[in-house]
Amino acid sequence: MIELVDLTVTFGGVTALDNVSAVFTKPVNGIIGPNGAGKTTTMNVISGFLKCSGHIRYNDEEIGRLPAYKRTRWGLRRSFQREQIADDLSILDNLKVILDVTPGGRAQKAADAEQALEATGLAPRAHTMAGELNTFERRLVDVARCLVGKPKIVMFDEPGGGLSREEAARLGDLILKVPEITGATTLVIDHDVDLISRICAETLVLDFGKRIAFGETAAVLGDPKVKAAYLGVEEVDS
Amino acid sequence: MLAITRSGLAGTVFFLIALLALPALADGQWIKIFISTGCFVIAASGVAFMYSRLGMVSLGQVALMGVGGWVTLRMNHAFNLPFEINVAVAGAVTLVFGWLLALPALRMRGLYLALITLMAAGGLEVIFSTFRFPNGGPGFWGVMPSVAAPFRRPWIAQSDTAYLRYIMAAAFFGFVLIELHRRMAPGRAWAMIRRSEAAALASGVNVVYYKAWAFGLSGFLAGVAGGLLAGGLGLLDAATFRASESIMLFALSVVGGARFWLGAVIAGVLYRVMPALFSNWGINSDLTLVIFGAALLHAIMTAPDGLSGQILQAFGKVTRRA
Repeated sequence: MIELVDLTVTFGGVTALDNVSAVFTKPVNGIIGPNGAGKTTTMNVISGFLKCSGHIRYNDEEIGRLPAYKRTRWGLRRSFQREQIADDLSILDNLKVILDVTPGGRAQKAADAEQALEATGLAPRAHTMAGELNTFERRLVDVARCLVGKPKIVMFDEPGGGLSREEAARLGDLILKVPEITGATTLVIDHDVDLISRICAETLVLDFGKRIAFGETAAVLGDPKVKAAYLGVEEVDS
Repeated sequence: MLAITRSGLAGTVFFLIALLALPALADGQWIKIFISTGCFVIAASGVAFMYSRLGMVSLGQVALMGVGGWVTLRMNHAFNLPFEINVAVAGAVTLVFGWLLALPALRMRGLYLALITLMAAGGLEVIFSTFRFPNGGPGFWGVMPSVAAPFRRPWIAQSDTAYLRYIMAAAFFGFVLIELHRRMAPGRAWAMIRRSEAAALASGVNVVYYKAWAFGLSGFLAGVAGGLLAGGLGLLDAATFRASESIMLFALSVVGGARFWLGAVIAGVLYRVMPALFSNWGINSDLTLVIFGAALLHAIMTAPDGLSGQILQAFGKVTRRA
């Protein structure tokens, strides 16, 4: 369970997140909203990249005070809109960076990496340099990095960006398996409503840094406020 | 982890050939020039790996060599310890000295490290010029006029020829040390820091810690290089460690190609051998500065991996055809 309590972020005079609260209880959850709504800011706050007021808890454990790198060691994993893998490392070494700082024995870590590579279909190319990979393969490496080191929270920032429909669908299937493979609670940010409605059980909708809806995905996407803010449909007073 | 790469194999062969051929072919004056070259190759390897692996620019490497040289001379004239211990202490002291200077800058991004190291190099230039290097005199600074007390070289390398071999072996182990780091956790962490600090943090990498580790390793290599340089003549001159020399060594590391061992070798050769060659040919050695400037422009505009990148690429093409 991921609990966000009164998260507020300000940049100068601009309030990027305004008292946002939500409790994600499902294995795979979503955050949607129009451009500038505060989705990536929320992810950066949970990652520890931005300072904020409020609380971030996982199963009642406060993680909002940990520095960013310690959150990763604790069990937070994330991908970026533009994947951030090191071109001059092999696929396996891109996974090992995380395994280097997480607890566990050598054999256990090797098995962990192997499981992540198998799950993403990258095992045959484990020793290929990341610089030689195409966009989809790079995205898969990003996902594989999220699977290693016993993660507790896994976050994907627009994972389908720049991918074909088939690739995005494959990635969606993979994300659905993340809780099953790792036991982690998963958060997905994406503009693709089809992807969110297919894979996320609960969804938070943001607009101008404020929570405008939260709950079961189908119900949230049917909310007139969400349609007005996000889908560009006018809210009609009944 | 111990598998040897093609570049590593080429480096080992180059080292073995140089180890056998260079001392046999060179005469007295050139042996001394090659000794000095080897020391600057070690220092250049430190500054180059920091730049290529982390994108960190250090403009104080030659000044840090001066620190290592000062400590080695001070130890040599104060205690009766073996040369290796003196050099090891010099490496350790330089490492810590570098950390103290750079730690505030390591928390920041961009060119702050370059600025701080350059300012430190300027400060050290003043200190070296004012107090000079120990030569066996009394007191803390240990300087006496005109004459110098004897310097103890390693017992296995008493002659200049043997000492050149000793320097080449030290340079080889310096490269091995960097390569071992590259293949282990620090190297992976450095690769992520170079990708972006966000990527590193999302990988659990403590960015300041690993930057400090890199700077420490580079400082250690500079300290050892300075200590070894002190062993070449038994004394050091403040003019060797001017701030402008640190800038020059960094620029030549870029010209040579910071990613490869060959780049540091080329940097050392350009820095020390080329001016000596020009002097031998009766050409003003300051002309090398014009050539270095042109080479730097060439590297920045057309050869991001420097001369070594071009050479290794051409070598790769030839071996693939064969």
